[in-house]
Amino acid sequence: MQGASSGIGYGLKYQARCISDVSADTDHTSFLTGTLSLKEENEVHLIRLSSGGTELICEGLFSHPNEIWDLRSCPFDQRIFSSVYSSGESFGAAVWQIPELYGQLNSPQLEKIASLDSHEGKINCKTVLVLELHRLLVTSKLQYPTECVIWWPSGKQDKLISIDQEKILLWNIDCSKKIAQAYLQVQSQESTGMLHYLSGGAWDPHDVNALAATCESSVQFWDIRTMKKTNSIECTHVHDLEYDAKKNHILVTAEYESGIHIWDLRMPRVPMQELPGHAHWTWTVRCNPQYDGLILSAGTDSTVNLWLSSSSGDGMVESPTRRSNPLLNTYSDYEDSVYSVAWSSREPWIFASLSYDGRVVVESVKSYLSRK
Amino acid sequence: MAANDVPLDDKAKRMRDLLSSFYSPDPSMSSSSPKLASLDSINTASFDANQYMNLLVQKSNLEVLLKRHVEMAAEIKNLDTDLQMLVYENYNKFISATDTIKRMKSNIVGMETNMEQLLEKITSVQSRSDGVNTSLFEKREHIEKLHRTRNLLRKVQFIYDLPARLGKCIKSEAYADAVKFYTGAMPIFRTYGDSSFQDCKRASEEAMQTIIRNLQGKLFSDSESIQSRAEAAVLLKQLDFPVDSLKVKLLEKLEQSLADLELKIEKLEPAGEDSSNLYQGGSLVDNHEDSVWEFSEAVRAYLVIFPDSKNQLISLSRDLLSRHFEALQQYVHERISSADLVNILKIIWTDVLLLDNVLEEAGLPVVSLEAAQVVVKKYISSKFSIFQQDISDSLVGPKERVEEYTLQVALETGKKTVLQGSMDALLDFRLLLDDKLEPVVNLRDLIIDYVQEGFQGFFRTLYDCFVLLSEKKSASEQGLKEMAQSDKALTGLVLVLSQISVFIEQGAIPRITEEIASSFSGGGARGYEYGPAFVPGEICRRFRSAGDKFINLYIKMRTQRISVILRKRFMTPNWIKHKEPRDVHMFVDLLLRELEAAGSEVKQILPQGIRKHRHSDSNGSTASSRSNPLRDDRLGRSNTSRARSQLLETHLAKLFKQKVEIFTKVEYTQESVVSTIVKLSLKSLQEFVRLQTFNRSGFQQIQLDIQFLRLPLKEISEDEAAVDFLLDEVIVAASERCLDPIPLEPPILDKLIQAKLAKG
Repeated sequence: MQGASSGIGYGLKYQARCISDVSADTDHTSFLTGTLSLKEENEVHLIRLSSGGTELICEGLFSHPNEIWDLRSCPFDQRIFSSVYSSGESFGAAVWQIPELYGQLNSPQLEKIASLDSHEGKINCKTVLVLELHRLLVTSKLQYPTECVIWWPSGKQDKLISIDQEKILLWNIDCSKKIAQAYLQVQSQESTGMLHYLSGGAWDPHDVNALAATCESSVQFWDIRTMKKTNSIECTHVHDLEYDAKKNHILVTAEYESGIHIWDLRMPRVPMQELPGHAHWTWTVRCNPQYDGLILSAGTDSTVNLWLSSSSGDGMVESPTRRSNPLLNTYSDYEDSVYSVAWSSREPWIFASLSYDGRVVVESVKSYLSRK
Repeated sequence: MAANDVPLDDKAKRMRDLLSSFYSPDPSMSSSSPKLASLDSINTASFDANQYMNLLVQKSNLEVLLKRHVEMAAEIKNLDTDLQMLVYENYNKFISATDTIKRMKSNIVGMETNMEQLLEKITSVQSRSDGVNTSLFEKREHIEKLHRTRNLLRKVQFIYDLPARLGKCIKSEAYADAVKFYTGAMPIFRTYGDSSFQDCKRASEEAMQTIIRNLQGKLFSDSESIQSRAEAAVLLKQLDFPVDSLKVKLLEKLEQSLADLELKIEKLEPAGEDSSNLYQGGSLVDNHEDSVWEFSEAVRAYLVIFPDSKNQLISLSRDLLSRHFEALQQYVHERISSADLVNILKIIWTDVLLLDNVLEEAGLPVVSLEAAQVVVKKYISSKFSIFQQDISDSLVGPKERVEEYTLQVALETGKKTVLQGSMDALLDFRLLLDDKLEPVVNLRDLIIDYVQEGFQGFFRTLYDCFVLLSEKKSASEQGLKEMAQSDKALTGLVLVLSQISVFIEQGAIPRITEEIASSFSGGGARGYEYGPAFVPGEICRRFRSAGDKFINLYIKMRTQRISVILRKRFMTPNWIKHKEPRDVHMFVDLLLRELEAAGSEVKQILPQGIRKHRHSDSNGSTASSRSNPLRDDRLGRSNTSRARSQLLETHLAKLFKQKVEIFTKVEYTQESVVSTIVKLSLKSLQEFVRLQTFNRSGFQQIQLDIQFLRLPLKEISEDEAAVDFLLDEVIVAASERCLDPIPLEPPILDKLIQAKLAKG
C-alpha cells in the first residue's frame, strides 16, 4: 500500500486511545492526547505542529491521575478539556484546566475544574460538552464505565453532556462557582423498556437540542430540552458516530463489522451511502470540518482510511470514477490498532492519528483535496 | 496503298497528292501517309535531302546514280509543268465566277413591277367574296332556327318517352343506360318538372327508385361479380345516392369479420402450447388460412368498388396485423420454444403475403417486419428472464423442500442450471437463426445483436439477483434468534453464490463466448463504434469481483456470529472481580463450534488448497508453547518490578519478530477462508480484551482459554504463524490490561486443559 507516508511522528510513552484537536487555539495547530496505562502515571500531552509544519513539538506535559479513555478539548477555551478516566475498578469523568505555562516543560499538575458526579451506574463516558468553565472543580466517583463526555461543538455553551451505560446527563457548568450541576438526566431503559447499554454519542452542531446516542442495536436521537427520545435508527453495533459539521441532517456512523454508513436523518430508514470500512473493525470516523464529504476512519486493522463520500454536496458532479471508489487513500504506516483520529480545525487538511502503541502521526491530505 | 493497289500514273498520283495537301492543311491526311516512313521516298513532308543522298550514294553504284540523276531531272521538269498548269486552272475558275455574278445582277431588275400587279389582283378577289357573304346571310339564319326547333322537339319527345324507356331498361337490366338517360333528362326535370312535365317526372322517378333499389341489392350481394358490384357503386354515385354511408356499412361488416378472424387466432395459439404438431397439417391452420383468404378477397373487392376507401382498408389490415402481433407478444411471455415462435410467425407471414398481394400500399411486410423485430426481441428477453428465474429457483427453491439439501448439491445444480440453461438458450436461438422464414432471415443481424445484448443484460441482472439474494440474508440476519435456522442456510447460500460467480467467470463465460463466436458472429446492426454487444471481459470482471465480494461477505457473516459470542463473553462479567480459573470457559466451545460449522460448509464447496506443511513440533505439551522469550521473561517477572519500559519491550519484541500479515487476501480454498475467519476472530478477541481491565484471576482465565484454543485453531488454520502471533497478542493485551499479571504455572495450565479435553 502507500506505506511510505509523509506523516510527522510523535511518540507517547505509553499506550493511548484518544487524541483531540484543540480547536480553541487559533494561533497554532495543536492536539491534545492522553495515555492509557493501567499501572504507570498517565500523562496528557499538548502537542503543537511547528510553524513550518515539519515537526511535532510537545508544548505541555501534564500528569493525569488515571488512565484516560476519552479526551475532548473545550471548543472555546484552549486550556480546558474533559476526560473520561478509569481507575481500574471505576470510571469517572472530569473537566480540567491546563495551568499557565511559564516556559517550562515539567509535568505540572492539572487543575481539575469539575468532575462529573452522580454517575452511579456504569459510565462509558466518551464525550463532554462545556461552555464557560474557569477554575471549576467537579469530581465524580463512577462505578460503571463512562462512555463519553461531549462538548457542544461550536460556540459558547455552558452545557456538557456525559453518557454512561445507563443514562445521559446534561450538565450545566457554572465556571465562576466551580460547580457542575447535573440538572437533567435520562435513563435509557425508560424509553426502550429493555436494558440497552449506551455506548457513546454525538451532539448535533446544527441544533443545540439534538443528541445522538449509540446503543447496542440502534442509534437513538434525544431532545435534550425534554430528554425524550425523538427518533432512532436501527443499526447494530455502532461504535462511533459524528454529525457532518457542514451539512445539516447528515450523520456518519462507524460499525464494528459493517463499515461506515452515512445517513440522512430526514430519511432514516436506509443509509444514504455505505463505505466498506476496514479489514477488521472500524473504530472511529471523523468528518472534515471544512471540506464536504471528506471522511476519515480508523480501524483495528492498523490503518487510517480517507474517504470521499459521493453523496455529499448536492451540487457536486458525481463522476463515475469517484463513485466507483470513494476510498482516496489508506495510511497503513501503523504498528497497532488506530483508535483515534482528529482533524485540525485550524488547518482542516491536516489530521492527527493515534495508534494504540502511543504513536501520534500527523498527515496532510492536501494532495487529495486538489484532486477534488 | 495508292502505290500498291492501283498502279496509277505517277503524275496523276502526284497531282492528287498535291491537291489534297493543298486543300487539307493536315499533312497526315494525305493518302500516301503509310509510305512516309521509308527514307527513300521523296514525296513526303519529312523528306531529308542529305539523308536521301547518303542513302543513295551508299546503295548504288555510279551507273545507277547517273540513271537516277537523269530520272530526277525529268521528274523536276514535270513538276514544274504541273505547277504551272495548276495556276492556270485556278485563274480560269476565277474568271468564270465573275461572269456568273454579273449575269445575276442584270436578271433581278424586272421583278418589282410583277409584284405590284399581283397585289392588285388579290384585293379585287377579296371584295367579291364579301359581297357573296352578305347576300347569303339571311337564309342561313333561318336554317339555323329551324334546326334548333327540331332539336327541342326531339328532346321533348325523349322526355315523354323516358318512363317507358326506363321500364324497358329495368327489364333488360341495362341499368347503365337507364342512368345515362335519366341523368340526361335531369336538367329539364329540374327546370320544368313542376309544370309541364309533372307526370312524366313522377313516372321516371319511380322507375329510378326501382333502379336504385336494384343497384343496392346488387352492391350488397356477395354472389355478384366484383365487376358488376363496382359498376353498381359507380352508377349509384352518379345518381347522387349517398354512397359513403353504404361504404361505411360495408367496412363495418368487414371489420366485424376481422374480429372473427382474430378470435380464431387466439383459439389457435393456446393449441400451440399443447403440441406444435397441431400446426403441421392441422385443420386449424387451414381454417385460419381460409378465413384470411376470404378477408383478402373482400379487401380486393372493396378496393375496386370504393377506390377512395383504400386508407381505411389499409388501416384495417394493419389493425389485423397488429392484433396478430399483440396476441403473439402475449404468447411470448410464456415458456415457448423457438419452433413455436417460428410457427406462429410463419402463419402470420402467410397472412401478410396474402394481404400484400391485394393491398400493396399498406406496406404490410414492412410493418410486420418491424413488429416481428419487436416480438423477437421480447421473446429473447423473456427467454432470459425465465432462465434467470430458473437459476434463482435452483438456488433458493430446493432448500425449502428438502431439509438435508447440502450445499454441494446446491452448487452443482446451480452450476448445471447456469451452463445447461445458457447452452439450451443458445441452441434455441440458433434454431431461430437457421429458420428460412423471410422475416426471420431479414432479422438475422438484429437477432444476433439481441442475443448478444441479451446475454450481456442477463449476466448483469443475474449479478444483481445474486446481490439481492445475499442481501436478503443480511436483512434477516439482523432479526432475532428465530432466524438462526434460515440464517445458517443463508451463509451457505452466500458461499454457493460466491462459487457460482467464480464458475460463471471461469467456466460458463468462456463456453458461451465460444458458442456465440461460432454461431452468432456478425450482427453489427448496432454499428461498429459500439463494439459487439456481448463483452465477455466486462462480465468476467463483474463476476470476479462478485466472487470476491460474496466470499468476503461470507467471512464477514461468519465473523459477526463469532463476534456476538465474544462480545457476550467479554462484556458481561466483571473482570476486575474475577474468580480463580477452575475450568476452560465454555465460550471456547461455542467458538470452536462456529468455526467447525464454517469449516464444514466450506469443505462442501471450496476446493482444497495446498496446505503449507509446517506442523508445529509443539504437539501435546501445552507448556512449551512457542512464545517469544522476551515476553515469557516479562510475564514471569514479578509485577512490582515491572519496568516502565514494558511498552518498549513489546515494541522490541515486535521488531525482532517478523511482522505477521494478518489481513491477507482471501483465496478460494477451504484453508484460506477458514483461516481468515480464525484470524479475524482472534483479532476481535484481542480488541475485546483491550477494552477490559482484569485482575489476576481474570488474566489467568484468559491465559487458560487461549492456551486451550491454541492447538485446535492451529489445526484448523493454515497460517500457523499468524494464529500463534495473534494468540500471543491476546495474552499480551490481557497482561497489559491486568493490574497484577501473574500467569498460571504451566503444570496447572496443563492439568486444567487435560481436564477439559477429558470432559469434552
